[in-house]
Amino acid sequence: MNQEIAEKIKNMLVESLRIPAEELEYDSELFGDDIGLDSIDSIEIIAGIDELFGIDMTGQAKENFQSIETLAAYVEAHI
Amino acid sequence: MSVENRVVVTGLGIVCGIGDNVETCWNNAVAGVTGIADVKSVDTEKCYAHKGAEVDIPSEELSGENYDRSSLLCIKAAGEALKDAGFDTAENGGRRIGVILGSCVGGVASIDRYYSDKFRSGEGSFADGTGDKNDIYKMPAAAIANNVARHFGLNGETANIVNACAAGTMSIAYACQLIREGKADAFVAGGSDSFSSLAFSGFHALHALDANPCSPFNHSSGITLGEGSGVLIVESYEHAVRRGAKIYCDVLGSGVSSDAYHITAPRPDGQGQMSAITRAVKSSGLDFGDIDYINAHGTGTAKNDEAEFLSLHTLFDGNDHLSVSSTKSMTGHCLGAAGSIEAVFSVKAVQEDVVPPTIGYSDEDLTVLAEKAGDICFVPNRKQEKTVHYAVSNSFAFGGNNASIVFAKEPAELNIQKNTQPVYITGIGKVCADKEAAEKNVAINSADYKEHGIKMAFYRKLDHFSQLQLLSGVRALEDAGVTIDESNENTTGLIIGTADGPIKEIADFQKNAIENGTEKGSAFAFPNTVYNAAGGYLSIFSGLKGYSATVANSVQAGLQSICYARTIIRNGEADKMLAAGTDENTDIEQELYGALSVLGDGKPYSGSGIVLGEGSVTLMMETEDSVNKRQASVLAEVAGCATAHQATEADTIQGSETALEEVIRSACEDAGITPDRIDAVAGFADGNSVVDQTELNAYRKVFGRTMKVFSVKEDFGEARAASSALQAACAAEILGGRTPDVLDCYEVTADTVTRTQTEVGNFAYMLAVSFGLGGSYAAVVLKKKTV
Repeated sequence: MNQEIAEKIKNMLVESLRIPAEELEYDSELFGDDIGLDSIDSIEIIAGIDELFGIDMTGQAKENFQSIETLAAYVEAHI
Repeated sequence: MSVENRVVVTGLGIVCGIGDNVETCWNNAVAGVTGIADVKSVDTEKCYAHKGAEVDIPSEELSGENYDRSSLLCIKAAGEALKDAGFDTAENGGRRIGVILGSCVGGVASIDRYYSDKFRSGEGSFADGTGDKNDIYKMPAAAIANNVARHFGLNGETANIVNACAAGTMSIAYACQLIREGKADAFVAGGSDSFSSLAFSGFHALHALDANPCSPFNHSSGITLGEGSGVLIVESYEHAVRRGAKIYCDVLGSGVSSDAYHITAPRPDGQGQMSAITRAVKSSGLDFGDIDYINAHGTGTAKNDEAEFLSLHTLFDGNDHLSVSSTKSMTGHCLGAAGSIEAVFSVKAVQEDVVPPTIGYSDEDLTVLAEKAGDICFVPNRKQEKTVHYAVSNSFAFGGNNASIVFAKEPAELNIQKNTQPVYITGIGKVCADKEAAEKNVAINSADYKEHGIKMAFYRKLDHFSQLQLLSGVRALEDAGVTIDESNENTTGLIIGTADGPIKEIADFQKNAIENGTEKGSAFAFPNTVYNAAGGYLSIFSGLKGYSATVANSVQAGLQSICYARTIIRNGEADKMLAAGTDENTDIEQELYGALSVLGDGKPYSGSGIVLGEGSVTLMMETEDSVNKRQASVLAEVAGCATAHQATEADTIQGSETALEEVIRSACEDAGITPDRIDAVAGFADGNSVVDQTELNAYRKVFGRTMKVFSVKEDFGEARAASSALQAACAAEILGGRTPDVLDCYEVTADTVTRTQTEVGNFAYMLAVSFGLGGSYAAVVLKKKTV
């Protein structure tokens, strides 16, 4: 996993979705019990990834949104 | 129907994307003429959608005052409605005619202008620029009803119901309840919202805008925003007959509910919608088979249309003459004005026996519709002529609010279980600043949430305003010992009062749109920009599904919420109500109030200006039966409630002194006592010399003797609606024996104000009273519970 990408994504999640940084690990399940994100948050993540890396994740499979790790992997593969 | 319960519509007014008067709008609506075109007032260049239904009249041509566009649109519509009703507004000094208006975005066009000016003059920096301070008083939704009242010289109760897209319908429903309670002869009731970059940016961020004109119950690929105002003159039948008024129709029952599900999306099973519609139909003394026409919420989003389609098919199964249409296909979604504009169309449908269509169906769409519509006629493309005895208008909103109301050609025997039992305060939840600290802010941390079992996945979504309200609401439930479950979820409701609402979230969202573009709105932040989000979160967390409203009306709104809650209880719609006051104090409030030069040392009766505070105070109110059933302990009885209004400029209370005296006398009268029975007052002095002097003068005049006055703002700052709710809480705690026997207070004599202490153990009656800028007042008399 690219640390730099993951850190940027983490900061974006902390800032735009008000997730406490200390409760957010790279492998935390974003849409499950750990963090509890919902459909509105996924829109915000897509906008954030687009803003940070210029990558449009609209319509991409759910698996990519599971954790910071999977988001970072998607970004790394498409950058 | 018994005459004293009968409320009729005697005047109509409207301005929206399809016309600037009732005749034009109605003719266009039945002819299927759309008002949707490319948006002019918002820069949509980089957006994926560009459509809107704007009113093609510049603000200065709507009315001459320097008000926000939402107020001006409403003055235009109210002018038509009052003229149509042939009202003599000067009768009794306008005291028996009030103004209840709904709005979603309130003065957001002025927030846009203020920060745009700052950004421009600061050459790209908000901090370095200056805005026009006249815009600041136009920002809160609370200004609209007062502005309309002032324009027309109306001095009955004013309120702004700010439950987003259900606000217009709720305002009409509440106005009718107040008339039935005898609080007024008539109301200017309806809603108003201007087109705004905030709403466009927010719905765009949520991908909830249709790139094409919206297509409700058809393609359902999003909404098209609109703007406008709809106004009904609702009037007691007796009053209307006495003055020989023309009567359009009767207003029968209404229903308001909360989904307790999601902050933006409706429950997919339609349960909350069905609860509101059922209450509206049943309280009208009708059955589902009686309804001829439903003006649907029909926004055109997949989530709304699917849930509403399911709700209507479930409830009206077996009704073979039901027509349903969405006039939003022509007017766009006018948010807080939607319910009021659609109420005008519903009244016209009843009067004219014509149902306006839902437009936008192609031949192919018609085939699809025919397959799914069942027995319901969705009136595609062309009007339908039929006898409309009973029309229902639905409005559903962010925050999970649902509202439904019934208009009828003939009167009906209403099925309302009026409740005249005593109402008690049985719990208090407070979130206040530290008494000793100089800065009156509330720091909330994760431990505060964990104490009440609120998980991070939930609380992280909340803006500061919602956080304050959630905590005080949960604390009030806990203090009262009430857990919401299936047995009480539909009979427990919530009224939140606020002066400025979630102004930080709104201003920050607006600043982002100005700085980065309409297309860069945050989907996460947008849901919290509506005033009723806080109530929505509290309802989701606690499971409360009963009546839910948020009322914006300056400082006194925390007491007005108690009066409103008692009206709902008396109307038999709930046996337990949470009544709250909430306002925040962030960098935005400091900036805005600072720019108005009203800040000072906050010392009551000798101050140089106010110290801003923040907080939230929630009271649990419940009927005697409910108290006895669960053997709850009681703090005090809500013995008397009153509101009064004397229209003044939006930045002062100067000129409204008589309304303050009136509200104190009326609250005492409502409690069945004379003012000389009041032992002490929880007062509203905040360090502003005009406010404090007005208060003293009123006490001297009404009581004519030495009076003990407690000041909550000295300790907690001017936390506006939170302060006024805290005044009631303070009185309830004293009467309920929760305080020490001797307390600090002010002693007000004919010519002095001195700090002193007083024994409180023998107090039997206390008054809590507060003011609103623009001349609104609310007062509550609390009585010690005698065993």
